[in-house]
Amino acid sequence: MEINIQNISMTYPNGKQALKDLSFDLHTPSLIGLLGPNGAGKSTLMKLLVAALLPTSGSILVDGLPLAKTDRLLKTRLGYLPQDFGLFDELTVAQFLDYMAALKGLRDPKSAIRKAIRVVNLEKKAKSKIRTLSGGQRQRVGIAQALLGDPPLLIFDEPTVGLDPEERIHFRNLFSQAAQNRLVLLSTHIIEDVQSVCNQLVVIDRGRVLFTGTPAALIEAASGHVGAFWEQEAAQEDGLHITARVNTSGGIRCRAVADVLPPYAQQEEPTLEDAYLYLISREAVQ
Amino acid sequence: MKTIRLFPLELRRLLQSRLTWLIALLAVLSPLAGLTLYKPATAGTMLSNYLANPAIAGGVAGGILFGLLTVFELNRAARSRVDVLVDAAVSPMSMALVRLLALMAASLLTLGLTMLVWTPVSWALIGSVFGGVDYLLAYLLLMGPALPLGVLAAASAYQFTRRADLSLVLFAAFAALSLTVWADDWQLCWLNPCVWALSDDFSNFRLFRSVAYMRLSWLAALAGVWGLSYLCIRQYGKGLFGSLARNLRRAYRPVIALLLLACSVAAYAAQPMVDQSNLDQTAMSFYELPYLEGVTCSQRTAQVYPDTNAGTVTGRATYRFQNVSGQAQTVALGINPGYTISSVQANGADLPFSVGDYQEYNEAMLQATIPAEEEVELTVEYSGFPQEDRNTSTMQGRKEISPEYLCLENAALSPRLMNVLPDEGMYPATIEITLPSSMTAIPFGTSEAKVVSEHQDGTATWRYEDNGTGGILYAGDYIRQDIEAGGLTIQFYYGRKHQSVMEAARAVDAVKAVVDYCTKHYGALSFGTGGALKLIQSRVSGGGYATAGASLLDEADFTAANLSDSGKGAIPGEVMIHELVHQWWGLGNMFDTSDDTSPWSAEGLTVYTTYRIVKALYGEDYAREHYVDQWQQSVDDYYLNFYVRHPEYLASLPEDKQLPITNSLTYVRQYCEMPLKILKAEALVGGEEAMDAILSRLFNRELDPAYPYLTYGEFLDACGLTEEDLNLG
Repeated sequence: MEINIQNISMTYPNGKQALKDLSFDLHTPSLIGLLGPNGAGKSTLMKLLVAALLPTSGSILVDGLPLAKTDRLLKTRLGYLPQDFGLFDELTVAQFLDYMAALKGLRDPKSAIRKAIRVVNLEKKAKSKIRTLSGGQRQRVGIAQALLGDPPLLIFDEPTVGLDPEERIHFRNLFSQAAQNRLVLLSTHIIEDVQSVCNQLVVIDRGRVLFTGTPAALIEAASGHVGAFWEQEAAQEDGLHITARVNTSGGIRCRAVADVLPPYAQQEEPTLEDAYLYLISREAVQ
Repeated sequence: MKTIRLFPLELRRLLQSRLTWLIALLAVLSPLAGLTLYKPATAGTMLSNYLANPAIAGGVAGGILFGLLTVFELNRAARSRVDVLVDAAVSPMSMALVRLLALMAASLLTLGLTMLVWTPVSWALIGSVFGGVDYLLAYLLLMGPALPLGVLAAASAYQFTRRADLSLVLFAAFAALSLTVWADDWQLCWLNPCVWALSDDFSNFRLFRSVAYMRLSWLAALAGVWGLSYLCIRQYGKGLFGSLARNLRRAYRPVIALLLLACSVAAYAAQPMVDQSNLDQTAMSFYELPYLEGVTCSQRTAQVYPDTNAGTVTGRATYRFQNVSGQAQTVALGINPGYTISSVQANGADLPFSVGDYQEYNEAMLQATIPAEEEVELTVEYSGFPQEDRNTSTMQGRKEISPEYLCLENAALSPRLMNVLPDEGMYPATIEITLPSSMTAIPFGTSEAKVVSEHQDGTATWRYEDNGTGGILYAGDYIRQDIEAGGLTIQFYYGRKHQSVMEAARAVDAVKAVVDYCTKHYGALSFGTGGALKLIQSRVSGGGYATAGASLLDEADFTAANLSDSGKGAIPGEVMIHELVHQWWGLGNMFDTSDDTSPWSAEGLTVYTTYRIVKALYGEDYAREHYVDQWQQSVDDYYLNFYVRHPEYLASLPEDKQLPITNSLTYVRQYCEMPLKILKAEALVGGEEAMDAILSRLFNRELDPAYPYLTYGEFLDACGLTEEDLNLG
């Protein structure tokens, strides 16, 4: 599957411009991390990709065909987990997945449901009413419905919200496995979720694409711009963005990004989080 | 295809909701309200009380409940944010259709459940007159469609507004319209059909047809409205108008919606059930036509072929005229407004004719100009579905035509001659009617119908001779019992379905008792009945009436419940007594009713005599409580009535407002005030025996041929009293 996003802009009826002239391409197989601060336009982009919204201008091509005219076809190939979703509380987990499987028109719904329930670790809750589930379990039901039928396109908007650390790792791995032969788009602001599994990143802020490329390229771009220093040795510096403060026996150790590191800062190897923050902070300064 | 595939899925999901089952349970129980709180069908028949009212109440409650469920379900997906998952898999348009179908299917399942639950209950309550067809049709038409209509209305409101609160307000207003301002309009009361009575002993197809027509009209209208609201389903994050603009791109969607709306409007405007009679019921223009000079009618015939399955009539009427005027003359005939005239011929030649748009008292005027020949035979061929008078549109059912029952009155039987005088033989008529062989034809009057031929298709042709411009014919699956009473042979006709009830109530003995009482106290009926009187149980009609040689009895007075009312004793309904008494006071002695302001009419003596018979049968206490006390109460209220004390205000009201008030006051004067005056006269003349002797003398007095009516003055003179003596004040 290939998705070409061509110069799309999106302005809501209230005048808020959420996306400005975005262009990039997505190919199978890949796991793409969509990063950006809150309000950057990630969810809007997701909604455009699942045809829940239509762009104000520009176009999205799915395998060369405009999405606006083939949204019904796309829905048959899509697994989507939105950021904010609900479930039918009166149904059991299995019944809800059966309902969604039927909506998706799956040919062998029973095995698809069994598989989805297994991969999200909900076997013991399969016959429980959804109203009895915890927040994390509901999130897992949401992920399961997206995975039903192994769709070639998976779009997850903040999928690991509400999950405990162990579950987050489990799902990270799951997404990674899924991306071996599919196109998976993962929107999150948790850098850890994408650091280890994504082979491509798209960073957007205030409706614009700041970066597209591999995580390594993003890290590379931040090389020489990440440093550490003791807080008591530091002076007030413009353009220095502290990304972490750690209390140690020797005092408070700070980690910061900057275009030009101050002399008292010791240069450090950038992490993906550093690189992301460096990118965002630089954009903010510009 | 996708809709068909998803429908069972959505229905299954809906049926897994506890709320759906709660709504279904309440809907199943809601016919209970028709037995206790909400009784729009006012007639006293068993089917009215125990079938129509529960079914209508079930429809009202079920329609409202399913409307609420619809708003809840449609809003629920958005409220709980399930829609974002569902919309990612299926188009919101498809899902809206699937949800609608699932809700409608749930409503129909609820209807089926209701019918199952209520079958034994209704059977037990209704008793021997319970009928499967009536039961099915009552629930399928009086209750059934209200539920999907409620779903359609509520779904439309939600799809337009996307707000549950606003949708509920709109839906409540729409339901309230049906229950209030539209309640008396048989076409507009979408939730609560205008049903005032269901017949126990005869069929109800006419009324069911009317309700079905209303329901189908509304189904088309609301499906059209839903179709428009379907175009407003929000998609792609757009608002109402953005979504509408996008959804309009598929032209067939608005076209279907508009076609459905157009169908409903056309169905409303071109309804075939009731006519367009003048609403002013004082209008008498058809009865004030000047008679043609030099033209008389010497004979008429009619061959009538009712289609008892379709409820239609085909007929051919001929009129023999003597036209000595030497000129062509325009003959006017009253026809039922539902009929179409296929041809009019004079002496075998086609004549041009016209049917006027103006309608009055359930008649339209057919006009044709006969040639200036001395002998003219005019032939009129007509056919169609007889319409009822729109002034009684909330009481439809009189023109029932079915294999079980038929009533054709005047212009519905054959065109009524309006402006031609008879020759010396009046209007001799020969009527032939072809009916299913199970039906008995009963002319309302002295005529006797006889079978003249039987046909291989299971029909028989009946013929009878009549005299007059109109005439009423009843036919049905009747049982006839001849009763010798008061020197007469009473031909007592009642529906076969009612046989067991009549026999259990010993109705034959009761009829005999009443006729014997009146004959003994006032004298034998003298008018030309050939020693016979027909007593015909009619389909429920809101009361009986009488003519020379025949008296009609409303079936509502013969219900099992009424007949077994121990408070009334063993004799059948008192309306039967009342109507039978009219053979003496009203026909045996006629009353001039030209003065509406006078309390004197046939009703005064009839009600008084009924009271006397009831007193003899049930005792003084019962008669005082049910007659004298009620007259007194009504008269007391009458004297306090604002318009009685200030008639100048009544006169200043518009005519349509005056009429019901005037009718109500006239009723009290004739049915309550006059009987009280007669009761006072009875006391003044020395008691019941003295009054009986006076009435007997009056009944048997020699009539003045110039004015053969019994006047108030004659009554007062016979009693030796003055008007002032009988003042009640």
